[in-house]
Amino acid sequence: MIELLIGAVFFALLALSLVYRIAVGPTSADRMVAGDACDSLLCCAMILFSMFSGRGIYLDIALIGAALGIIDTMLIGRYLEGRL
Amino acid sequence: MIIVRFLIDVLIIAGGVFALAGALGVLKMPDTLCRMQASTCIPTLGTICVALGAILYAAFFKHSAADAVKIAVIALMIIVTNPIGSHVLARGAYTSAKREGTEMLLNVDDYGRDFHE
Amino acid sequence: MQKTRFSAVLSTFILCMLVWIVLTWSFSLQELAAGVVVSLASALFVSRFFIHEDAFRFFNPVKLLNLIVYAGTFCRELVKANVDMAKRVFGGCKVNPGIVRVPTGMKSDYGLSLLANSITLTPGTITVEVAEEEGENCYYIHWIDMTAESGEAAGEAIKGNLEKGTRRVFD
Repeated sequence: MIELLIGAVFFALLALSLVYRIAVGPTSADRMVAGDACDSLLCCAMILFSMFSGRGIYLDIALIGAALGIIDTMLIGRYLEGRL
Repeated sequence: MIIVRFLIDVLIIAGGVFALAGALGVLKMPDTLCRMQASTCIPTLGTICVALGAILYAAFFKHSAADAVKIAVIALMIIVTNPIGSHVLARGAYTSAKREGTEMLLNVDDYGRDFHE
Repeated sequence: MQKTRFSAVLSTFILCMLVWIVLTWSFSLQELAAGVVVSLASALFVSRFFIHEDAFRFFNPVKLLNLIVYAGTFCRELVKANVDMAKRVFGGCKVNPGIVRVPTGMKSDYGLSLLANSITLTPGTITVEVAEEEGENCYYIHWIDMTAESGEAAGEAIKGNLEKGTRRVFD
């Protein structure tokens, strides 16, 4: 089904467009918000691409990304708060 | 089968629309906390719609229960962990903006009144 | 530091075992034995930080049914808030943000955290802080569209249905 591939490419392009916010964001918190959104978008893209290509390995990568994506967000948040 | 295929298309398009709204919000909103609000669209309805579509595809076309369960676990993981990071990051953004004297776009500020004298 | 209780260890063990079975998805005897060993070890270490209240709360069928009803309510609120946020983004990003203090009547820790995470997960509201003042808990919520100024009216608009559902599950 070709629409799975189209969806995966669309999600990856959205994640690529967020690199603009990571590059120019005025504060560190802006960059971290965009990075967090990038993480979720790439997980969605990997789910769709795994369904398109029929390989299970992309699902494992998406699972690791989803499970460990919170750690950097919490680390940067605690650092900005001054409690690290 | 054609109905299931149509349903998968509708779900992927709905997820794409909500993810587009979230990404555009992150690019266009004027303030850090407002950007965070807009980016919450991506892990909620964007991920839920896409994961439902992929679960339907794995169940009806690939006949693989393991893939369906794993996609459900991925979606659940994203949805459960997102609010925790969002909450910590919101507090960090507020505190660092107060410390560095950055102007924030807030019309009512009870938190600053009660906690930052 | 709490004492390690048997019920807490058992419930954490069941949760870890379920996650192991879902992740590996193979039912051969060796995999299951390895899962039992790993789950037991992690349950022994983790359960004292993980469970502070009644461990078997959800084995009560009324509470379980209320939790499922709450999931339905939450999904409806989620779709409503998402459509509202999408309209706001596509229609020119008009915002009127502010941080408002909202008092709440929840008492138990699990209920407080479930309600705070539900509020954060709906687009348009983020819980910045949970504070306890004079025996009453209150949230500080960043709200993107301040249609109500006072705390009670804002609380009714933000968490009206959610708090009723949460109170039926915990309390």
